[in-house]
Amino acid sequence: MSAPKKEKKVYTGWAAVIRDPRVILVLVLVALSLAAIFVPFGDREGATNLQFGLDLEGGSWIQLEFQSEVVTIGQGADVNAVAESMGKTLDCTVVPIDETKVEVQKSATEGELRAAVEAAGAKFVGYEPGVGTETADSVKRILESKLNSLGTSDVKINTLTNINGVSQYVRVEMAGVDMQTAQELVGTQGLFELRIVTTGNETAHVLYGDSVVSVQTPSQNPAGSDNWGVGFGINNEGAAALQQACIYYGATTNPSAHELVMYLDGNLVYSAPLSSDLAASISKNPVNSLYAGTGSGDAGKAQAQELEIHLRAGALPVEVEIAGSGSTSAVLGDYFKVICVIAGIAALAAVALLVYLRYRTPQIVLPMIGTNVAEIIILLGIAVFIQQLDIAAIAALIAVLGTGIDQLVIITDEVIHEGRVPSQALYLKRLKRALVIIMTSAATVIIAMIPLIVMDLSTLKGFAIISILGVLIGVVITRPAYGRIVMEILGK
Amino acid sequence: MDFPKYDINKYDSKRMVAIPAALFGIALVIVIITFAMTGMPVTPGIDFAGGTAVTIHTDDTKEEIIAFYDGYNLKAIDEGIGSGGYYLKFGPMSNEEMMKFNAYTLAEYPDASIDQIGANFGATLQSQAMWAIFIAFIGMAVVVFIAFRKIIPAVTVVCAGIADITITAAVMNIVGIELSLATTAALLMLIGYSVDSNILLTTKVLKRQGTLEEKLSGAFRTGIIMTTTTLGAIVAMFIVAFIGQVPTLYNIAAVLIIGLITDIIFTWVFNAGILRLYFAKMEEKPQYTPKQPKKNIKGAKQ
Repeated sequence: MSAPKKEKKVYTGWAAVIRDPRVILVLVLVALSLAAIFVPFGDREGATNLQFGLDLEGGSWIQLEFQSEVVTIGQGADVNAVAESMGKTLDCTVVPIDETKVEVQKSATEGELRAAVEAAGAKFVGYEPGVGTETADSVKRILESKLNSLGTSDVKINTLTNINGVSQYVRVEMAGVDMQTAQELVGTQGLFELRIVTTGNETAHVLYGDSVVSVQTPSQNPAGSDNWGVGFGINNEGAAALQQACIYYGATTNPSAHELVMYLDGNLVYSAPLSSDLAASISKNPVNSLYAGTGSGDAGKAQAQELEIHLRAGALPVEVEIAGSGSTSAVLGDYFKVICVIAGIAALAAVALLVYLRYRTPQIVLPMIGTNVAEIIILLGIAVFIQQLDIAAIAALIAVLGTGIDQLVIITDEVIHEGRVPSQALYLKRLKRALVIIMTSAATVIIAMIPLIVMDLSTLKGFAIISILGVLIGVVITRPAYGRIVMEILGK
Repeated sequence: MDFPKYDINKYDSKRMVAIPAALFGIALVIVIITFAMTGMPVTPGIDFAGGTAVTIHTDDTKEEIIAFYDGYNLKAIDEGIGSGGYYLKFGPMSNEEMMKFNAYTLAEYPDASIDQIGANFGATLQSQAMWAIFIAFIGMAVVVFIAFRKIIPAVTVVCAGIADITITAAVMNIVGIELSLATTAALLMLIGYSVDSNILLTTKVLKRQGTLEEKLSGAFRTGIIMTTTTLGAIVAMFIVAFIGQVPTLYNIAAVLIIGLITDIIFTWVFNAGILRLYFAKMEEKPQYTPKQPKKNIKGAKQ
């Protein structure tokens, strides 16, 4: 801190405190944070802009494990040829990822993989469960389209990728969706097939989900009739296959005897005859745009929404299994929120009581608690933008409240000797020493928390980020201001 | 406030070192045995071992809940105080069993919170968590060495940190707190905390002027209030979260409480004892003169 210039008036006490840049910074940040937390912007659900995790908001998460292996082979082999040969040996799709890695799209043992690689004339180096980035991205896209069509407020899909670029898991978080719905939506592979009735109960294959290129949202046909259905588009190959099948089996001449039937994972999800219009037009030309009616009223609408998801589903490129899941109902989430708020207030009260018992001087205790509250407010203000708060993050927040006071105690004890504040030069020297202690311990906390962020133990990210942010805000912003306040207030 | 009647300068240094060291030894045995049996230093909960946990709030009695889950592999049931909150743990289930279980539970308790972790996923989390703890320790040691650049004090601080985590882990085993993702985070947090008060003590003693006794007492006075304020905040969190049955919150709080109490012992008994021995040794060596401050800044006096 530089001494005020001579021509300037020298302020003391609160007047000086209010003019200190460090104190001003804290006040400005507190104001901005309060604005970030409370001023409505965008569409928000609660009374604040804070984002909450599923355990406080209510919702479900599901973690899916890819049933797939990434195999590393020795350098020099033609990876495309190896992949093709391995695909034949293992009877599944094998795609090359890069020069030395192939993705085997089913789960297999090390022995099977080694044999397949060696049969292809390459050297087996190693394997790990998971898929390459490209497959992971496409799974993410498919799940996104599947889930976003639901219209839930908030769906987050993250593939967890390790340092080798292999993803073993994909995590799906859905706010406001219960576990059963979530599992039905996500856990199914979604192999869609359109078949046609040939004779009696017999059906024949027409096309798979990969021919479905676009799916519309449920609509009424004609508009306003309350007759619901879903329009969807198929590619030229699919359209040609459909035309051929309809003509071949006689659906164009006798639609009701040759219904079109849709299956998802072998389960019947929809069946209906060709409409007379469609039968007429398809007998002449392939048709790319189709409309599947589901009936009238709320039931028809609900069925249309379901069908839309089925049509969108397509098949995931690899099989998945549910590795873990969790859900919290909105009611329980609200209850947890209340408990968290009470816990926070109780913690603050406990801290205030303890420092009061220790110092018994309002001039020290009030700035201390004030600084601590300012720290929490700034932390929450930043969290609005970067981190959703789950229960673990709240625990970190309360811990920050405790450690924050710790460090204010270090500063206070360091600068005040037997209740008196020393000269400014000595004060600054002592403040600097106190800050060195604080910096070292802050560095330790940050270092200890970094693995939790990098390692993607997803549920602990919030805990780690809030802890680190709390420490940083304390060291950089609030502690220096507190040091200044204490000096001016007690220096009189 | 009433400070604990503990005079940091009164006791025999060797005993100050020996008693916590013995505690550490016992804890280490417990942790090693647990490790041999479960593959983790603390008995793993469902996050790492796999399984299903259900949190419900209901007017039903414990007996009614147990009867309701007859036929399911109900392993444990925890109860909040007067809040009607229950925390139930079940053994591993297959995907199909899980779907059935969810439907069964949600039909009776629509607001239940259900968490399920497969054994495979648990194993992945387990290895990640072990790496996280390992890396955090290495990082902590590096910071401490950079901060002190003296072998003995730095090693002491690192040892105090290791001991703190080990004893906390042992106590978790004794009182039955399982290792979950949340309690792993709390243990990592303790690495940071344990270093906090040790750095305060060591810095004050090594880098300040004055007699050792004065410095130790001064550091203790500051340090104990520091730890008690943190402890105060966390005990408050524990009480509220336990009464309200928010398992994540009270488990984290419980681990931090155990760790902070251990930290008090290791900082103000063990580390203080080591520092006294260290200084006693330094004084024996005639060639050694404690580093003098270069020059007192004007007006500076301790």
